[in-house]
Amino acid sequence: MRKSIAGLAAAAAFAVVAAGCSDPTTAEAPDSSSSAGGEMAAEQWPAQDTSREGVTLTIWAAQNSTQTAESVATEFEELTGATVDIETIPDPYEQSIQTKVATGDMPDLAFWQPTASMLTALNAKTNLQPLDGAPWVDSYTGSLADMTGLLDGTRYAALVTTPAVEGVYYNKDLFEQAGITETPSNWDEMIEDADTLKAAGITPFYEMAADRWATQWWVQVQLADAAADGLWDRVNANEETFTDPTILGAIENYKSLIDDGYFNDDIKTATFIDQGNALLDDEAAMVMQVNSYFGQLQSLSDSATLDEKVGFFPISPSGNVGTFIPDQSNAVVAFATGDDEREATARQFLSYWLGDGYQSFVDTVETVSLQDGVESPAGVPMALQEVAASLDNSVGSMQALAIANPDLYIYLADMIQGTKTPQEVAEATQQQFAEFAAAQGAAGF
Amino acid sequence: MTTTLLPARRKDQPRDARLADRRSRQDHPSWFLWPALAMLVIFFFTPTIYNFVYAFTDWSSFKSEIGFVGFDNFVKLLQNGSLLSDLRVTLIYAILVAIFQNLFGLGLALVLERDTRINRFARAAFFVPVIMSALAVGYVFQAILKPDGVLNNFLTTLTGGEVSIPWLGSTTWTIVVVAIIHAWKWMGLSMLIYLAGLKTINEEVIEAAQLDGAGYWRIFKAVRWPLLAPAVTFNFATALLGSMNGFDIVQATTAGGPGGSTELLNIFIFRTFGQGLFAQATAMSLVLFLVVALLAFPVIIYLRRRERVL
Repeated sequence: MRKSIAGLAAAAAFAVVAAGCSDPTTAEAPDSSSSAGGEMAAEQWPAQDTSREGVTLTIWAAQNSTQTAESVATEFEELTGATVDIETIPDPYEQSIQTKVATGDMPDLAFWQPTASMLTALNAKTNLQPLDGAPWVDSYTGSLADMTGLLDGTRYAALVTTPAVEGVYYNKDLFEQAGITETPSNWDEMIEDADTLKAAGITPFYEMAADRWATQWWVQVQLADAAADGLWDRVNANEETFTDPTILGAIENYKSLIDDGYFNDDIKTATFIDQGNALLDDEAAMVMQVNSYFGQLQSLSDSATLDEKVGFFPISPSGNVGTFIPDQSNAVVAFATGDDEREATARQFLSYWLGDGYQSFVDTVETVSLQDGVESPAGVPMALQEVAASLDNSVGSMQALAIANPDLYIYLADMIQGTKTPQEVAEATQQQFAEFAAAQGAAGF
Repeated sequence: MTTTLLPARRKDQPRDARLADRRSRQDHPSWFLWPALAMLVIFFFTPTIYNFVYAFTDWSSFKSEIGFVGFDNFVKLLQNGSLLSDLRVTLIYAILVAIFQNLFGLGLALVLERDTRINRFARAAFFVPVIMSALAVGYVFQAILKPDGVLNNFLTTLTGGEVSIPWLGSTTWTIVVVAIIHAWKWMGLSMLIYLAGLKTINEEVIEAAQLDGAGYWRIFKAVRWPLLAPAVTFNFATALLGSMNGFDIVQATTAGGPGGSTELLNIFIFRTFGQGLFAQATAMSLVLFLVVALLAFPVIIYLRRRERVL
């Protein structure tokens, strides 16, 4: 009896192990010939108003992007008869999606960070529909089409809103109070302005080490010149590392600015919310942040006040070059679900969103238009227009250009808390980067 | 497995007894076991075995194939300092939780020992945190312990001076604070077990001690504490080994910060898994499993031996 139970358990266990050794997503690997073939353009990109009665599309969105697609989804439903369900996936969004997709669960469309590293993390080549030859690509303003959404030359993500830019949000009143009339035109001038502010008894910079994630912007903007010079390509090929002078130097510089008292005293415990209040309550003059910070300011104040009080300038060591970092709310990917009609409907939905539906979309969500023929609505705050304007000459962030996205921000926060030195931050980041690169099978790791 | 509980049949058993034995076997046919066994296999054995297997592969979200890589993941983990430092944090956390949870639980049990109406109500009240969601507990405490949170406001009113202690912002002491929160959540369970332990102590033994002139503390020290040994074993072992697997409360209060000083191994595993390095995360959880198992045996053996002294 005992033996038979043990035997049963062993047999069951063996069956489980044998079954377990395949990735569930491979079983559902799509018939990519149906979606990748470019020769049948009409079928590949169906007309925007093709009837889709009875088809249901599922879109996964995060807490902060779940409203974005609502209006355009409703319009698409009216136009085509399809049903569009927007499902909110709880935070941490990216982790939840990666886990779901890894176990074979996928929607038709999802908001997703359109960078190469994050497309790789989703195993785009197997799981996503290629969007090459999409009708909207030529409509993008400036260099937006080539900026992001691509992995090894294939387009996998459709950019729907302005990619975020790392740069400085500043308090115009405090600048005026300290006698600063012009925004700095390079890094050294910014530090000079910070000295002026400090002399006037004003805290120059405000950082939020308790919530950690914004710490990395300080290092990344210092790397803008190097990034333009191919830094991340060298890092991707393992020819340069985080511990080499360029990146380590940026980390050390950030540390010395903190040590020299350029930042708020409560830097260790300050949060994202504190950071928003600090700029509006005249507690500090400058905040190095991305677009979501402005969203936070908008939730605390009205557009007119913000236009009057808050400005934005991009910064890099040698000039005013912004560092762009598209995030999850900026772009949408279409999954290769294996169901031809749903896949086609998903592509049609994107064509509509970035086609006939785009004007109404930017008007409803009050965002900057990414297309030449589509006007931005009047209500877009000035700072956001400045951000969008800085995109054209901006360079890519680590997230945009590196093949993997290590937890640099956590290690920098550790440094601010005093548990890591700049050298240790660089080492930990490099080690993690190498681990991701090796997992991807990148050459040189 | 129930069959092992039956006494072995002996040749010298009288016939009646053997018949009774057979009858009891017929009362418990082996197929009674199958539903429970199926559950055990599906929900317990399967994940555990997966955990063992995937730890030796290169399963990740970056590619579709899964290949065996031997001990690669473990070698890399050992080279990476994070694993050892997180194991150290986890161990410190577990020991702190075990100490605090038992102190609080025993204190409550002693205070609420008598069966009065108020005590019964209080016992139920102190048990409420046990059934609360751990994440909810974490978020509530995070709000209370913020620099401008309720606790500091209360202290400001109490002392008259401005108090703004960052309770969750110290790289040295925050782990103690979080361990206390964990212990607070689970102290009701320890209380219950200590109460049960106290009830099993024979009244006559206490009476005898009283007649000998022993006071409350003397009786506690010399009679009740030693007799509580089985309850101590259970409470200490479950608190220690349970909090080795801690995650939710720490994630909600500090998410491993400040400066990684409360980064339990499970938080590191969660982070690694979320980044798509599934195999590495699985390898780490296998390491945690082994550490908990290795720790469990000496701790339980020691505590059991302590009981035997009685």
